[in-house]
Amino acid sequence: MKRTTLAAIALAVTAGLGLTGCAGAAGPAEQPAANGKTKLTVSVWNYEGTPEFKALFDGYEAANPTVDIEPVDILADDYPQKVTTMLAGGDTTDVLTMKNVIDYSRYANNGQLQEINSVVDKVGKDNLAGLDAFDMDGKYFAAPYRQDFWLLYYNKDLFKAAGIEEPKDLTWEKYSELAKKLTKEADGKKVYGTYHHIWRSVVQAIAAAQNGADQNSGDYGFFEDQYNTALDLQKSGATLDFGTAKSQKTSYRTMFETGQAAMMPMGTWYTAGILQAKKDGKTTVNWGLAPLPQKNDDGKVTTFGSPTAFAVNKNATHSDEAKKFIEWAAGEEGAKAISKIGVVPALQNESVTAEYFKLDGLPTDELSKKAFTPDTTALEMPVSDKSAATDKILNQEHDLIMVGERSVTDGIAEMGKRVTGEVLGK
Amino acid sequence: MTNMAEDLKATHVRDAAPLPNGAPTAEDRRRTDRKRSPREQKKRTANIVIYGVLVVLVVALMVPFIWMLSSSLKENNQVLTVPIQWIPQEFVWSNYTDIWTRIPMMGYLQNSLYLAVIITCLQVLTGSLAAYGFSKVRFPGRDVLFLAYVGTIAVPWQAYMVPQYIMMQNLGLTNSFNALILLQAFGAFGVFLMRQYYMTIPDELCEAARIDGLSEYGIWARVILPLSKPALASLALLTFVNTWNDYMGPFIYLTSNRLWTVQLGLRSFVGQFDAEYAMIMTGSVISVIPILIIFLIGQRYFIQGIATSGMKG
Amino acid sequence: MTTETITQAPAPVHSRGNRKQARRNTLIGWTFILPNFLGFLAFTLIPVVAAFALSFMEWTSFSAPKWVGLANFERMFASDSFWIALRNTVVYALGHVPLTMALALILAMLLNRKLKGIGFFRVAIFFPYITSLVAVAVVWNMLFSPDSGPINQFLGAIGIANPPGWTSSSDWAMPAVIITSVWRDMGYYMVLYLAGLQAIPTELYEAAEVDGASAWQRFWNVTIPSLRPTTFFVVVMLTVSSFKVFDLIVVMTNGGPGRSTTVLSQLIYQEGIGEGKFGYSSAISLVLFIIVLTVTVLQFKIQQRRER
Repeated sequence: MKRTTLAAIALAVTAGLGLTGCAGAAGPAEQPAANGKTKLTVSVWNYEGTPEFKALFDGYEAANPTVDIEPVDILADDYPQKVTTMLAGGDTTDVLTMKNVIDYSRYANNGQLQEINSVVDKVGKDNLAGLDAFDMDGKYFAAPYRQDFWLLYYNKDLFKAAGIEEPKDLTWEKYSELAKKLTKEADGKKVYGTYHHIWRSVVQAIAAAQNGADQNSGDYGFFEDQYNTALDLQKSGATLDFGTAKSQKTSYRTMFETGQAAMMPMGTWYTAGILQAKKDGKTTVNWGLAPLPQKNDDGKVTTFGSPTAFAVNKNATHSDEAKKFIEWAAGEEGAKAISKIGVVPALQNESVTAEYFKLDGLPTDELSKKAFTPDTTALEMPVSDKSAATDKILNQEHDLIMVGERSVTDGIAEMGKRVTGEVLGK
Repeated sequence: MTNMAEDLKATHVRDAAPLPNGAPTAEDRRRTDRKRSPREQKKRTANIVIYGVLVVLVVALMVPFIWMLSSSLKENNQVLTVPIQWIPQEFVWSNYTDIWTRIPMMGYLQNSLYLAVIITCLQVLTGSLAAYGFSKVRFPGRDVLFLAYVGTIAVPWQAYMVPQYIMMQNLGLTNSFNALILLQAFGAFGVFLMRQYYMTIPDELCEAARIDGLSEYGIWARVILPLSKPALASLALLTFVNTWNDYMGPFIYLTSNRLWTVQLGLRSFVGQFDAEYAMIMTGSVISVIPILIIFLIGQRYFIQGIATSGMKG
Repeated sequence: MTTETITQAPAPVHSRGNRKQARRNTLIGWTFILPNFLGFLAFTLIPVVAAFALSFMEWTSFSAPKWVGLANFERMFASDSFWIALRNTVVYALGHVPLTMALALILAMLLNRKLKGIGFFRVAIFFPYITSLVAVAVVWNMLFSPDSGPINQFLGAIGIANPPGWTSSSDWAMPAVIITSVWRDMGYYMVLYLAGLQAIPTELYEAAEVDGASAWQRFWNVTIPSLRPTTFFVVVMLTVSSFKVFDLIVVMTNGGPGRSTTVLSQLIYQEGIGEGKFGYSSAISLVLFIIVLTVTVLQFKIQQRRER
């Protein structure tokens, strides 16, 4: 290597270092808020792929010309990790979006969020679905603007082909029967009666909701029936087996959109996705919605859901503006703005629901409409500082039961033992 | 065993070959033949065997990449099918045009390239300097310091990520390329790699250079560096690849979208509940290309004999 | 080379009793090290030391840390998950380190020749390392599929009645992960060996050949000893990276089934940034650090002894 080469490298490096301050090729630098506008920063995940954020921000900016909202775009995959790190560094982002209630409880318990009881009161406590989750001894540190809950997606064409009526008033027993009937092999392609995604909630949160039980209790006998149902379906070949689904990273969208599964319990967030896929011509599936199958056949529908909320950072630069934004976003106008793009808002009243069903492409049959008005929506996971650790254990043991390494009884016993010992500290 | 068999085979071939016209006596010819032909023959057979092994190996190594390639030409909901589909039902070439507009892919590539080049240069430069100090100069505390270097490699980044971030935030360095450059350019990896290579260079060479009146810096620049091209190439290559493929570092330190790297850009196709795998695979295929170019350039330095030719002088 | 010139030379170690010389050496040594060391000290060493200090504290990252003495360590040693993760990590390292090393060396020797298209083959062997991890996980999981996967079909064909369940089984998930990771990493370490092989003077081989050494003897008596510094580097880096393995396992099995492939760095990640118990996660990393450092120091000593 010649001296000149070395010198060239050294030069390149110094030149490079000098440049870095203003580099960044993937877009223009952020503009400072122009002509006296307040610049409100909001942490969001996957801004491009999550249209609700843009809908809310555009709506708010239109209603409040003096405010300029700047999204702090964070990847969805590791959103909580990044937010935690940023906050540890004293970040001043004004509004923090709470992706799930477990993170919320951590931030709130550690005094990282501002109390916003006044905002919640103005929006109206009774109208906000999922608000209970954010109640910490009478104090609210976040207000939900979106509430997803679970229902049953089904493929109308596959039902028709099998000569089966729409899945009305299902119990888990009837659901299993249907799934087995709908399973068939056609042209070398297997069609599964249903598809259970690998998330533990598909079994555990459903069982907790429909038994009115607590997943942080350390006593998990109430999972038993639901596990038996799931394993029986898997054994009979009416759903893709867990091991394959997990190791092949099976996409639930693929299963449903390519007509490989006739039914699928899934969250309401998927309606927006499937609407878009149909609009883009990427699927031709003729889909409908039904309430989640039930434990009892008393006609009452119990499901579970998870709210998404906005909170104000303790170190926010514009606390008052942030609160105003949350009041708007969680309120009626915000709710309508996101309804328009197929997202289920937390605020539920008739005019909002009406707005939702105006959506183009949404199935309009009675059963689909009924699916949208469950009687009870339990929380996917209770809010507590123990939830994260419990969640981890329940996930691990769920794996073992589903791949058949542990019997249901042993698995449930092990969950109880581990949660009691490792989390509850008894 | 095999050697003998090959020899025998080679002799056979030689005997069967038509006699070349010309002067040399049979005796002479036999002698030269014995010397060369079996050997060359052996070499050729060996080469064929090696090629065979390599081809099989390459196929085994490329299978996941082929899947990646095939997935990049599918619709999203056709990627993760059960069972695996190796050939797309229809080829969606438009993925390769769409990705440039779906995300600012060109900008992300530029950012990645910028970071990778600067970090690689700094790593190679400071690493090879420090390595000289650690291998060719003796002073008290050297080995302990070196162990401290190596020891920190053992600490997972997840463990000190947050303290480091807080420090960077206080220095006002977060959300800029500078943060990543400072963090990654002075790693222990390069020092360690180069030191180990310098250990293989005989000390006598340095001695000789000292006698010739070269300063230590001169020895480093004129004797050691030219001799360590293969190591510099491998360090540069591996640093480049690691920086290029790094996800967690840029994710934590680069918040503004305009600063994002390719790896972050590709992850933006992962949503809260699902992911656009076709796009991710398309992007991954594109992002492999710069690495291939760097590799093809770098691997030319892996030619035996460079080191020795230098040493004769 | 005369004796006078040796004593005159500035750097040699053996210069006995010459204090000025020693001080000069120290100065020269530090000027070489300094540019790298400054950056290393500021951006790596200090945060690492800070993290270790945290292992004696309770810290949620939001409030000031609280001194708790050895409580984190007590909790750790009493925790099932820690021991399981430690065992898994050690098993992984024991499988991954020797296999990767051997294969990387074989590949490097195979590719260390002038052959038409050798550049292509070298790149190809590096490919697994640059293939997207998702693709690696999906394809290998398919190969390992218990019922329909090609691997088990092959095992069945050669008469193995009860082929393993690989990633769907607690007992076989770790071997499956090890195989995949060896496959993925060998190209990376091949590059290092390839560089190391360049430093061996061809004269050594020629001399050995003249002495009538067989190919095996040449490998054993020339290649292996000459590669010792490279091997030291490869062993240490492999050990370190095995003890820190994270990405591949997260994507391939995510620690499952159950906890059968959960490793220490996953635990550190979950407990720390996942659950906000930074003191506890630092304690685990301190233990990890001590283990790896011990292994490294042992290697270092062995290498130094051999050099003498």
